Amino acid sequence: MSALDIIMILLRIAFGVLVPLSFVAVLVWMERRGAAYFQDRSGPNRCNIMGFRAGGLVQNLADAIKLVFKEDVVPGHIRHKFYFILAPMLVFITALLCFAVIPFADVLLVGGSSYIMQAIPTDIGILWFLAIVGFGVYGIILAGWSSHNKYGVLGGLRAAAQVISYEIPMGLALVSLLAVYGTVNLTEMAQYQGQLLFGFIPMWGVVLQPLGVIIFIVAAFAETNRTPFDLAEGESEIVAGFHVEYSSMKFALFFMGEYVAMFVSSALIVTLYFGSYQIPWLATDTLLAYARPVTVLLMIGLPVIGYFFGQWIKKNNSSHYRREHDPRIRETKVYIALLWSLVVLLEVICLGYLLFAAGGGADRILVALLQIGTFLLKTFLMCFVYVWVRWTLPRFRYDQLQKIGWEKLLPLSLLNIFITSAVIVAFG
Amino acid sequence: MGAKVRVVERKGRTFLEQLYLLEVFKGMAVTLGHFFRNLLDNSRLYVRHYPEVRPEISPRWRGRHRLTRHEDGTVKCVACFMCQTNCPSNCIIIEAGERFDGRSEKMPLRFDIDLLECIYCGYCVEACPMDAIRMDTGIFSVTSDNRESMVLGLEEMLRTPGAFDEDSYQKGVR
Amino acid sequence: MAEMVKLFVNGQEVEVEAGKNLIDALQVVGIEIPHFCYHPALGADGNCRMCLVGIEDGRPPLVPACKTPAQPGMKVLLEDEKIKKIQRDIMELELINHPVDCPVCDQAGECTLQDYYMSYSQQDSRMNVEQVHKDKRLDFGCGVVHDQERCVLCARCVRFTRQITKTGELGIVNRSDQARVTIFPGRPLANRYALNIVDICPVGAMTSKDFRFRQRVWFLQKDPGICHGCSTGCNIYIDHHREKYGDDVIYRFRARTNLQVNGYFICDAGRLSYKTENENRQDRTLVDGVEVPLERGIEAALDKLNRARKPLMLVSPDSTLEQLWAIKRIATLYGAVLSGYSDAYVLAGDGDDYLISDDKAANRAGLQLLDIDSGKESFAAALADADLLVNFNNDLFFSPGNEDLQEALEATDQVSVCSHDRPAFSRATVILPCASYSEYGGSIVNRNNVLQRFARAVCRDADPCDIIEITRLLGGAISDNARAWPGLRQSVPALSRIWPERIPVEGVTLNSSEETHVGA
Repeated sequence: MSALDIIMILLRIAFGVLVPLSFVAVLVWMERRGAAYFQDRSGPNRCNIMGFRAGGLVQNLADAIKLVFKEDVVPGHIRHKFYFILAPMLVFITALLCFAVIPFADVLLVGGSSYIMQAIPTDIGILWFLAIVGFGVYGIILAGWSSHNKYGVLGGLRAAAQVISYEIPMGLALVSLLAVYGTVNLTEMAQYQGQLLFGFIPMWGVVLQPLGVIIFIVAAFAETNRTPFDLAEGESEIVAGFHVEYSSMKFALFFMGEYVAMFVSSALIVTLYFGSYQIPWLATDTLLAYARPVTVLLMIGLPVIGYFFGQWIKKNNSSHYRREHDPRIRETKVYIALLWSLVVLLEVICLGYLLFAAGGGADRILVALLQIGTFLLKTFLMCFVYVWVRWTLPRFRYDQLQKIGWEKLLPLSLLNIFITSAVIVAFG
Repeated sequence: MGAKVRVVERKGRTFLEQLYLLEVFKGMAVTLGHFFRNLLDNSRLYVRHYPEVRPEISPRWRGRHRLTRHEDGTVKCVACFMCQTNCPSNCIIIEAGERFDGRSEKMPLRFDIDLLECIYCGYCVEACPMDAIRMDTGIFSVTSDNRESMVLGLEEMLRTPGAFDEDSYQKGVR
Repeated sequence: MAEMVKLFVNGQEVEVEAGKNLIDALQVVGIEIPHFCYHPALGADGNCRMCLVGIEDGRPPLVPACKTPAQPGMKVLLEDEKIKKIQRDIMELELINHPVDCPVCDQAGECTLQDYYMSYSQQDSRMNVEQVHKDKRLDFGCGVVHDQERCVLCARCVRFTRQITKTGELGIVNRSDQARVTIFPGRPLANRYALNIVDICPVGAMTSKDFRFRQRVWFLQKDPGICHGCSTGCNIYIDHHREKYGDDVIYRFRARTNLQVNGYFICDAGRLSYKTENENRQDRTLVDGVEVPLERGIEAALDKLNRARKPLMLVSPDSTLEQLWAIKRIATLYGAVLSGYSDAYVLAGDGDDYLISDDKAANRAGLQLLDIDSGKESFAAALADADLLVNFNNDLFFSPGNEDLQEALEATDQVSVCSHDRPAFSRATVILPCASYSEYGGSIVNRNNVLQRFARAVCRDADPCDIIEITRLLGGAISDNARAWPGLRQSVPALSRIWPERIPVEGVTLNSSEETHVGA
């Protein structure tokens, strides 16, 4: 095992752990700001460090500090303290583990050896996900039960019933998908989606499985306990459901677990149906072949994006009322300066690459970076869909939830399997 | 009951509506429209930037209570307990005593309103036969870090002036 | 049973008692005839004209109901338009010079004028001249404050002082709208029943200085009770109220009608005795002067009782029959001498021939019924002999006269079960708080051998135990009033056929004939 091997292992594991965690911060911020904008409010806009609010991200920091320093209450009526404490860990860890098998770039060939770009380079792929994600609900059930609280038990029961109902359509949707891709390995699936259908349509899962994608997304929403399927939490009816007795960091673990799960299932949806890390029409080989022109395009595009982003900051990062010595003007100036220094930095890196390192290993790293960027962007957008749905759709009633699961999604997914198999058999 | 019964046709019975998915997308389009409108220009948010931009209080608005005085400065309140009797949250506590200023025979020695329990319904103002208690101070934010100071006493209520002139108050009340 | 007659009211046949006037007779069957000046204790005066009723085919056709006895076949008209106009006009007349200062008037809420205005008048004033102003806030003495403007000149107060107390301090002077109730110059009210004037005044003209402005009457919870001020056992209303964040406080006692015991009135001393129920209460359990929880106090008392060779138990003549029985049982249990010595409660010469009695103890007759020795010699002898005195709320120093016992008392270890903090109890090494008569229920026998039952009225925050509960904690078998009665019936012949739940509201006289009557 060479030093490069070790570095690559560490890098991949770091990516698999740190990216979901840092996405928690981004997602919480996105949820708040998104919710606010969907509802014509402004969202967190007060918290600041020396006047810098980072678009509301500082609020997350404040919340984190609050949660860490809050009193960690274990109510006296709780008999099974071990399970009570185990439950949030279970929720969080299972959510995090799911991400380990998701590829975030194509297989990387560096220094003569190839690296599968997953935190755990295994080929069981989707099976791992199915195994782990079903385990996550144990945490919720355990939390509800060990809370020794009627609301908690109700929340836990709801979560259990919901997961049973929705894992079936989810699995069946996957069956037809597997039939299409012919593999359970997620990296291979991603590579498959780099092809073109009829020579011009990217062969993404969403094109091949239009019904399957709907079933899978709905089931994934249910699996992550997000609105409109957040009956386990149901704050308006069962207060907060399974985590009603939790406080401080134990609550924060549930909270973070929820967002990690949201990120992971977004990543999985992207991997399975939205071309994973693939940039449309630019498969890995194409990218490698045209590395220089792509870099030049990037160098041209960056200042343009930077300019418009700067304009947007200038326009929106100001006080919309009369205010003397508006601190936001200074804030805006600093942000724009930072933005342009970032642009310049990237330009310099790109230039350096073009002049000194083009061709060979550097090309591959560049492509990997581009693919990682694409993957994160797609996942980010999918997360936005989560937020978007949450602030648009009301929660289902419990019988509606079960009805949709068993009476609609299950037959549809079976139908989807038949159609898919028929098409595959007919056209090979 | 002479109310007319109007049979409303139940909506949402066509196939496309029953499919639900299409309606979901319609709804999501609406919210996304709001999102982008606000994202691209956040000056269009329907939000008052509260501590800096204060709300405009109308004379009809029920704020913190105050007790009024006659022109000669004597307390209008005669401690009739009408406000206490009428108070749905039972937050007014009065102690009455003899009065010798010629205005009346009775006056409040103690007049406490527990603002933590008050629901600002304004029934006390409506019940008052003397126009002695009003909620026209325009004070809308009553905060404290202890319970005791949330109990408003006689002195404090007499001290607080009304925020509106008599004409606009009377117009507002009517 | 009295003779019944049938007559018609507004065309409907009703059956009422013969001989009574129409107001009283019809009130029994739930028909109200408005009146100001008539009061059953003071008789008909006929000055207010509010009770005028029509008699169909009668001569005269219009009569004051207070002066008209119910007769068979009488056709009384109450709903007639003519009668209603008369009532409206009388109300208008009464209200011409009435100040309508209900917000500051203590009578508001129990004011006849207010009630009748809502029921019979409801018209706006047509007065356009200045009202006649008279004197307000006149101190009539004895704690009665008079407001001449509010007065409707029904003369109930004047008749009260002439007929009931026979002191005649009050009179009406001047005529027409200058007429006013007043005292003779320099001669204020001076009788021991003066505050009844406040009760009988139909409007707010007479107010009690003691209750004045203290509470609005609609807040008060009015529970029936029995005055423990003396052995007459007058029936009262205990008007109490729990202010928000406050304790349950008694604001006043009012007379409750019981023709068998006190009639319509009570004495001023009894009326003001509510103060002792609020003040100077013993709410803390003390062992050697240190406050402890009740359980610890009980433990200490049990310890003393178990170690005592010759305990002496002293009961109070205020205690109910049930309490006396419970104490008697534990006295037997511990082999204690039981005494009801309470000469201090008798203030010789204080009583009169009306309601006030010499004996200030409420249940001395009960003490005798239960055969509890209350002689001074036997008590003094037992005290000298005893090594522990358990005093169940008997105030030995209620009045002077027991100073000679002081020395013996000081020499004896004492356990006091007491409701008030008084010198007679404060020397005890163990002090257990107990409820006072507004806070427990039970049965007492008054000086005329009338057995009356009363229920708990007040529930203070401190909520001390009933004496019965304390005897139970000290090892007794009686845990509540009901469980005392089988024993009482068995051992007391006079009570052998009494069931407490069957005692009528007005009480039952304990003698052989009544006993059989009630017991069935």
